[in-house]
Amino acid sequence: MAKPPIASPLSPLIRSLSLLLFLSLLLINLYSFESLADSHFEGFDADEEDESFDSLEFSDLRSPPLTQSESHPPPSPPSAHSEPERVPTPDPNPIRDSDLPTPSQDPLKPSSTSFDFWDEDEFEGLPVVEQPADPIEVPQDAAGPINPSPDLKPASKDKPTPRSYTVEIACVSFLVMFGINFFTGKRENENIALAWATKFATKDSIFEKNFSLLGVGEGDDSPLLLKEGQNVFKFYASGRRFCQGLLATMELKSRHDLISRMYNLIVPCRDEITFEVYMNDDAMDHVIFAVAKKKAAKGMQKEVRDLQRFAGMLSPPGGRKWVADELAVISESKEVAGDLITEAVLDQVLGDKVFEKFGKGFISMHFSDQHSAAHKKVLLFKFALPDAKHMADMTRLVALIPYYIDLVGRYKLSSQARTKTEAARSKAFQEAYKELHNARQEAIQKKKAEKKRMSEETEAKLSAESLRKKEAKERARQMKKAMPKMKMTRAH
Amino acid sequence: MSHSSNSATNDPRQPSAAKPFKPPLVSPQDLPVDYSGFIAVVFGVAGVMFRYKLSSWIAIIFCAQSLANMRNMENDLKQISMAMMFAIMGLVTNYFGPTRPAPAK
Repeated sequence: MAKPPIASPLSPLIRSLSLLLFLSLLLINLYSFESLADSHFEGFDADEEDESFDSLEFSDLRSPPLTQSESHPPPSPPSAHSEPERVPTPDPNPIRDSDLPTPSQDPLKPSSTSFDFWDEDEFEGLPVVEQPADPIEVPQDAAGPINPSPDLKPASKDKPTPRSYTVEIACVSFLVMFGINFFTGKRENENIALAWATKFATKDSIFEKNFSLLGVGEGDDSPLLLKEGQNVFKFYASGRRFCQGLLATMELKSRHDLISRMYNLIVPCRDEITFEVYMNDDAMDHVIFAVAKKKAAKGMQKEVRDLQRFAGMLSPPGGRKWVADELAVISESKEVAGDLITEAVLDQVLGDKVFEKFGKGFISMHFSDQHSAAHKKVLLFKFALPDAKHMADMTRLVALIPYYIDLVGRYKLSSQARTKTEAARSKAFQEAYKELHNARQEAIQKKKAEKKRMSEETEAKLSAESLRKKEAKERARQMKKAMPKMKMTRAH
Repeated sequence: MSHSSNSATNDPRQPSAAKPFKPPLVSPQDLPVDYSGFIAVVFGVAGVMFRYKLSSWIAIIFCAQSLANMRNMENDLKQISMAMMFAIMGLVTNYFGPTRPAPAK
């Protein structure tokens, strides 16, 4: 390699700078290696590696003065029988007194160590090291050999602190508990669902006597229950007069989920079963009717669309037996309510005397010919499920289902009530039609506006030249239109 | 109230009217929101980004809950797998990755 023609006067400076850079890189590398070895792979707990510098205050960056405070008595001279003092090996890079700031130096200038740890330009306003006020001379014979650089790391930091595994232990044990609970809870829910199916859907049971097809499959040996989730089970039955089919949905507590289980300790909930009976179109007259616990009834009246639109709360009629005090009746007319709450129902489940004993699992029932789902004519029953050992407690509640299928299927409104209900339905139909029409109109308007905006955008994009041409064409067309029409006749 | 009479005249059963069960088609939009899966993703991302061990552990716990409550296989599995990936990635970086420099005191 050829020598440069002109020797740069900065070359010694560059050389020394590169050496300095190399040394600092080496130091950083060593430091990072030490920290990697020393740290405990923990996000915010790896403070030990920095504590060697944290504990090192700026006053420690100089060699200790040969002074001793008054409070400590001078050490006794070493005797012959005493142990020989262990002298720590001197530091290879002792911090010399020449490195310390002297009064002649700038007081704001930070002290620099021999390895130039501090960058003067980077770290400003470092504390100035001051000499102690009244140093007391220590006799030379009393003091042992002075260690020029004291051990920077405190003795307590020599042993790494034992690492805490609290978070890991807690989380892993929770996951183990979650796993155990998953299997036990899953089995519990399955037992409840099977207990219900055994009681009400097997041979010689109420559903077997009322429906020709039971279960979610097509064959004879099809499964009775469909497991939709760990806590949701479905049962289907079909082949009965007045209805297309029945779908029972069991929504059980999330016993398989430990978090939900803990939440349910604070906010309790019950196992529920909902029966949806899809009635034939010709089998159900204009009936909108619901019975529920008073608090739930108010909520239903506000939230359920058909009850909100057509029905109202009914006060108990005088001079006849009525449902228990805890229950409220919502109906389109008093006639419907009176006809559907029969003596048999009051004696078996909903009456004052029997409700305490047999109706404790009753939540609500709702019959509607204006249901908002896929099937318009639906009977809905909602009951609370007892535990697996006490399934027989809800026998009377389940017996309400076939009873009401037949009652509603045979029921016919009086002409007077029918006129009222038809008027209400036609009004509702007109409102719905208006809403639909308005929505359509709105959609058309939106489309038009969009088209207009698009055409305006394209027009704006057209260049001035093409616009001028377009205008000229338009003008010519207009002039042509304005010109008088001439008849040309051929002379003979 | 009982309809258990099996006589031919009063039998409510009609085998000809029986319709086999067809599970209703539920669109993914109508399914209940998987909150635990969403929380798992949030904690998983936080664990990876901010290097919080606890955050990654919580993400794993919520992943387990989401898996336990899973109803729609193909729909929920995407979110759960994403959350699980973030959670595991967070744990790996926290335990086996380079340590963070401690803040200067």
